[in-house]
Amino acid sequence: MKRIFEWTALFLVAFLLQGTIVHAIRIGSIVPDLVVVVLFFLSMKHGAVLGIYVGFLIGLGQDLYSPSILGQNALAKSTVGIFVGLFNDRVMRTDPLLKVVLLFAAFLIHDSVFFGAQLLKNGHELAPLLKELTVRTLPRALYSSAFAALFFFWDTYFKPTFRT
Amino acid sequence: MFWILRFIASHRAAFSYILTALLSLWMISSGPVHQAKIARGLTISVFYPFHLALSLSSHVKNIFAENKRLRSEVAALTMRLSRIEEEAAENQRLRQLLDIVETYPYDLVPARVVLREPSNLFRSVVIDAGKKHGISSFMPVIGTKGVAGKVIQVLPGISQVQLLQDPSARTSVMLKENRTVGILETENGREYFVRFRPHVNCAQGDTVLTSGKGGIFPSGLNVGVIKGFKEDTDPLFKRAYIDPFVDFGHLENVFVLRLSPRWSAFRTQVDSIQFENR
Repeated sequence: MKRIFEWTALFLVAFLLQGTIVHAIRIGSIVPDLVVVVLFFLSMKHGAVLGIYVGFLIGLGQDLYSPSILGQNALAKSTVGIFVGLFNDRVMRTDPLLKVVLLFAAFLIHDSVFFGAQLLKNGHELAPLLKELTVRTLPRALYSSAFAALFFFWDTYFKPTFRT
Repeated sequence: MFWILRFIASHRAAFSYILTALLSLWMISSGPVHQAKIARGLTISVFYPFHLALSLSSHVKNIFAENKRLRSEVAALTMRLSRIEEEAAENQRLRQLLDIVETYPYDLVPARVVLREPSNLFRSVVIDAGKKHGISSFMPVIGTKGVAGKVIQVLPGISQVQLLQDPSARTSVMLKENRTVGILETENGREYFVRFRPHVNCAQGDTVLTSGKGGIFPSGLNVGVIKGFKEDTDPLFKRAYIDPFVDFGHLENVFVLRLSPRWSAFRTQVDSIQFENR
């Protein structure tokens, strides 16, 4: 129960920061996506099943309260959930650098699915979406990965451990 | 049957993803009307607590914004109201002054009180009319309801007025009813009295006017009403206490009566006699 509250609080904080102060650290028009970062942490910690359902619900919430196609974010985030969950800490122990690479890949998958859904729904041409992937997704994935890398390295090398 | 459940349980990640992906694709592929229906259904069921919190937070935010707006509006309206009240009061004062101008058959110079003597009991005020307005010393000054004092010092643009409140001020007055003359005095600037002989027929509520005998004030200007009597220290007199018509605490607009003291011609003659004697 305590964990549910912790993760709920974490997602709420991520949403709150995403809508407020994250814009203060933007580079050009690129801002890190904290919601995906928190979803990545959750899936990495608790596995694919939880990652899928939480990603689906979070995505669905974003779809309801943002001008996107209903189900677009839900599909993208549940895909991120299953992808990251496959490499979760229970299955394998990944080092921080690999986690950063996985997060980068998660962003690419997220946006690819997101734009794929758009393509499916509206029948846009592929070229503008590919351009969007290159111009926006890559820098955003890089920035978010770099942002999350700080936490990974802190978690691995600097987090104090208490032994009794 | 049981093996199916076991198969699903062992591949729950894959089944979960298939389930969510199918749901997502169903939502994506549905038309706008259907999507709106789904969104509405989700908003009032699964996401109701979140929606409620969101609407509450926006409501609270709106309340704060509205509160802020109302506060600034109240401040602006209060300022506007006080300005309107001030203008209404000034309008009333000016109407009264206009009545005075029409009532008194004198050459009146309107003036505004610009300075009061900085003491609890101010005995003189400064008005914004001076020598260049034709004002000279010893000209009578009246308020909207009666006599206020006299000019004692004149500068080009301003004049100092000694009020009836000044203990050194003496004003020749008379009773309106029987024309009995007396001197209006004050010892403390709060109580005004006139000494009359005990046999003089006067009563509470009688009006006191200027007598015109002092040489400064013309006769017939309102001064006040008798509010009571007391014995004087000199047993040959009684004191009639006067309630002045003019509220000295709220004196703002006055008129100077452009009248030269009637004894000035006499004084010139006296001075010339003295000069001849020298």
